[in-house]
Amino acid sequence: MAYVQAQVRASVNALEHLVGGLGTATLALGALLWAATVAVTCLARVGLLAAPGALRAVRSVADRERARLSRRGEPIPTPGPVPAGLRTAARDPFVRRELGWVALYSLIGLVTGLVGLALPLYAVQDVTFPLWYRLLPADAGAPGIVWWRIDGLSEALAVGLLGVGWLAAAIWFSPVLARLQAWPGRWLLPPPPGVDLSLRVAELTATRAAALDAHAVELRRIERSLHDGTQNRLVAVNVLLGAARRALRRNPDRADEILGQAQDAAEQALGELRTVVRGILPPVLDDRGLVGALAGLAGSSVVPCRLEVDVAVRCAASVEATAYFVVAEALTNVVRHSGASQVDVAVRRERARLLVSIEDDGHGDADETRGSGLTGIRRRVEAYDGRMTLTSPPGGPTRMDVELPCGS
Amino acid sequence: MRIVIAEDDALLREGLALLLRAEDLDVVATAGTPGEFLVAVDEHAPDVAIVDVRMPPTHTDEGIVAAVEARRRRPGLAVLVLSAYVEQAFATDLFSVGAAGLGYLLKERVGRVEEFLAALHRVADGGSVIDPEVVAQLLARNRRTDTALSELSPREREVLGLMAEGLGNGAIAERLFVTDGAVHKHIRSIFSKLQLPPDDRADRRVTAVLRYLNGDRR
Repeated sequence: MAYVQAQVRASVNALEHLVGGLGTATLALGALLWAATVAVTCLARVGLLAAPGALRAVRSVADRERARLSRRGEPIPTPGPVPAGLRTAARDPFVRRELGWVALYSLIGLVTGLVGLALPLYAVQDVTFPLWYRLLPADAGAPGIVWWRIDGLSEALAVGLLGVGWLAAAIWFSPVLARLQAWPGRWLLPPPPGVDLSLRVAELTATRAAALDAHAVELRRIERSLHDGTQNRLVAVNVLLGAARRALRRNPDRADEILGQAQDAAEQALGELRTVVRGILPPVLDDRGLVGALAGLAGSSVVPCRLEVDVAVRCAASVEATAYFVVAEALTNVVRHSGASQVDVAVRRERARLLVSIEDDGHGDADETRGSGLTGIRRRVEAYDGRMTLTSPPGGPTRMDVELPCGS
Repeated sequence: MRIVIAEDDALLREGLALLLRAEDLDVVATAGTPGEFLVAVDEHAPDVAIVDVRMPPTHTDEGIVAAVEARRRRPGLAVLVLSAYVEQAFATDLFSVGAAGLGYLLKERVGRVEEFLAALHRVADGGSVIDPEVVAQLLARNRRTDTALSELSPREREVLGLMAEGLGNGAIAERLFVTDGAVHKHIRSIFSKLQLPPDDRADRRVTAVLRYLNGDRR
């Protein structure tokens, strides 16, 4: 019994696939007719212009069949667009195999699909015949069998028995038909041996390139901050030292003043170097994750900090490092400049974006052009295609919103 | 000498201005962006511009672009470009329209005040200055690609390098501890090996230097 049940279930599945296959087979027939027409006109050179379009049509039908077969069994990757240029396309193994497939499948796919669909329809028609044979005149015959005179219930029941035969045939043969229908596609649509690997390589190359891009952005950011900050400070130290040496000879009092400026510049260089190094990948992020790291920042803030983090899925390490950097810099600013008594930090992930907001109740009037903290935040955020907005009216409050693409 | 400084880093900009003013040079304006710089050039009619290569917004070659534009607006404006690194492509861009009144120095040279001031004056007087580091890199590159340059003897290459730095015969002789006559002989030999005939109207020193900067340009 269980065997029959499984067989019935398999045949219902098969029927579904046969109907789907009938659809792609009809499309394949259309594509075949078009391609044949174009091929014939190509002989007179008129069709050459239409040839790429015909090949694209074949590819699009083949892709439908690939998708259909992939849903059913082992996935068949799509080769992407048809190569440009008729010569290249004609040499392309995918295009050649697809042309073979479209010819084979428009015959086999249609026949198997129609037979597969007809069997259960006959079965239903004949099995139910005893119920409605009276509606027909006696010499109209059985459905589809004109010479079989139906004179009474016994003949009608015989037709019903035939219907049971059709049903059995549908149940036994549908899976076979479905397999037969899928065969041209299974044979000709997967990548030819050897090509498969290159598709995989292309796919892997793309994902790896994206990872390298993110890496390059991070390296550029570090280079930029070393160049704009530390290196320029050291050049300034050098310039000021040169000036001081010149001044020593002529005006020693002035030299002391210049040396003081040089020392300030050197201290700034050290401060900026520290920021750069800390910003590359704060060790605390590795140890405790973004939530733990931010909690650490909030806990050690001199101005009381309320923290709200809602990040269910982790972002790329460089993005988390940037969010951490933003919060750290912003809290430093709040402590140094705002005169606030309370600061709220909220971090949440909305789909592919990480949203960070920092709001304090200080006296506002923060100016991005003064000091490097805010400029540094903006630069780092923009390096990731993120956005930073700052609202800080005189009298407060100051609110900073940062939006970062998550990169994962 | 009227000087405009274009440098986006405020501290360095003020440091440069302080250094030059202490030498009694006339710094008429300082600018932090290429736009401000061009306005200052229009407004103050300077003789010399000191320009940082990397400036906002993209911090790549805005300084070079601005310098070329400033020279277009004000022909004869001497430009001394300061760069944090040897960026050879930019140096070649800069010198591609002629080397007179142009200089390209690494920022770290500014600390050697005397040499920096000498370079500044040389550029202001219509000479050219190319950082020894740039020269060394170009020499290494061009020796492989330019057969005429590869025929030069080591001494002649040294002389050509010093010419590229903008030194005159006397200064070259001093650096190499040889007589003026010896330097003159080397230079004649360089011109002949680079096929720069004596009756050529172009300034042969400049041509030789350009040849140096870009293997096959004549």
